[in-house]
Amino acid sequence: MSFFCPKSRTRSLAALLVLGLLFASFPASAQEKNPTSPIMVPNPGADLWRAVRQRDAPAVGQTQVGGVETGVLIDTSGEDFRNFRREDLISKSAIFIGAFAALILIFYVTRGCIRIPGGRSGRKIRRFPDFDRTLHWFIAILFLFQALTGMILLFGRFVVLPVFGPEAFGVIASACLEGHNLFGPLFLVALFLLFIRFAAKNIPKRRDLTWLRRGGGAIGEGHVSSGFFNAGEKIWFWAVIVLGLTVSISGLILDFPIFAQGRETMQLTLIVHGITAVLLTAGSLAHIYIGTIGSEGSLESMTTGYVDENWAEAHHDLWYAEMMERGETVIDQKEGKQETPPMNASPDKA
Amino acid sequence: MSISEFVDGPFWYFSAGVFVIGVLWRLIGMLAMGTKTDYSAPRASAASGAIGINITRFFPRRDFWSRIKLQVVAGYLFHVGLFALLFFAAPHIEFYRERVLGFGWPALPEWAFIVFAEIAFLGLLLLILHRMMHPVTRMISSRGDYIGSILLFLVMLTGCLALARSHESLRILHFFLAELLLLYFPFSALMHTFTFPFSRGFMGAHYGRRGVKV
Repeated sequence: MSFFCPKSRTRSLAALLVLGLLFASFPASAQEKNPTSPIMVPNPGADLWRAVRQRDAPAVGQTQVGGVETGVLIDTSGEDFRNFRREDLISKSAIFIGAFAALILIFYVTRGCIRIPGGRSGRKIRRFPDFDRTLHWFIAILFLFQALTGMILLFGRFVVLPVFGPEAFGVIASACLEGHNLFGPLFLVALFLLFIRFAAKNIPKRRDLTWLRRGGGAIGEGHVSSGFFNAGEKIWFWAVIVLGLTVSISGLILDFPIFAQGRETMQLTLIVHGITAVLLTAGSLAHIYIGTIGSEGSLESMTTGYVDENWAEAHHDLWYAEMMERGETVIDQKEGKQETPPMNASPDKA
Repeated sequence: MSISEFVDGPFWYFSAGVFVIGVLWRLIGMLAMGTKTDYSAPRASAASGAIGINITRFFPRRDFWSRIKLQVVAGYLFHVGLFALLFFAAPHIEFYRERVLGFGWPALPEWAFIVFAEIAFLGLLLLILHRMMHPVTRMISSRGDYIGSILLFLVMLTGCLALARSHESLRILHFFLAELLLLYFPFSALMHTFTFPFSRGFMGAHYGRRGVKV
């Protein structure tokens, strides 16, 4: 796991340089208003439609066509929404995600990887059973796919289009839209399974307040106690559930515009969907950071299902104490000798 | 010759040819191996054992249910979803009618297509992840198992990305990956699509003849 926890800062600084350049160019290109030169083709009906739009009459007229907003000939709010999306939502989202990523990077460079106190013990404790890890990676894959396709749909006009050109962008955007719409409902299923499986372990407890007051150990001296999940992990879990539900339900409203949703509902939903997705993406950057390069030995819990005994003692001492008391899930792996894990070993419910 | 002409033309005929000949070759080879003559007096019918096991193996044994429910549920979701997509998706039926069979049949409505695509992806993703996460399954999985699963996933994914049918390049990408799958199929564990009744039947006959309940 040395790749995720490099001993020298050279790699960290190189990463900072590369990612810094990447993010430095990102908000600037997102704010660009006209990435391609428009072809001026005068609309022969422009004067007529301008007159309709600027007329002094009620916006909703009479029509025999039944349906939502069929009496609206021209909706001026559409143009306002388009401008809001392009000038506020997209640019501010790009700046927010870029700034959040930069903060994480600065934190990494200044703090470095949090090492296991006392190094690795060579003994392992089972933390997550196979199904939990399968579920975690299932939702992770879906989220990454949704985030990537969603970002392309949100920022693609400013980032992908200038690089690949209009034809390729058309293909990429069409593929992303289809994929994003198809995998959206699956994310909701994954979220439901995640809730069923992990909610009980993430119920807040009094000791979580202490953990929060001490900033997870960053403030004050000594270690802060925590059980199977600490307060930070619990906050992330409930954020995933709440933001995930919001993004999924708003996504379904956008995905199936057949339930009499009006234009205003769709516009509002799109804004909620975009903002929630951006918040979730920013949060996931922090989650990925702390689960990989931010903390030595954390990733193993989700790849192998086991964590080092010293890691458990340092980060989840109450759970560790309980596991030691049971004494059933400690495996001797000293000097390369690896015993087969017991099939009935189960992680705790603390 | 453009890439799309190549994928639509020679490469399609080549991959379809390799698929048909390869599958027949393996099936005939397997059946031609035959079985050793068993001179012992049969305790029960081998044929009924072979038929019986072909049916009972569709249902998980109660003793194992708690340990294999993920594989069973995900397996059914994936296979049912894939079957529906492969044979009842409108673009596929159109393809069979135009390029393979010369006739078609009623297709699933768009909403049903989406539902089956969802459950097929749900099942396949869970199965791939289970293969990677479960220590025993991971140990007995070969590189070919991963190649087959991931290739199938990519074929399904590109098919869904091309759903809008507004870009020829997306269709070509999907078709190209499907052709790669056809080429890989006869040489991989994907052959279980055709061999499972025979392997089940062999085991069922073997045990059935000895009077073992299967």
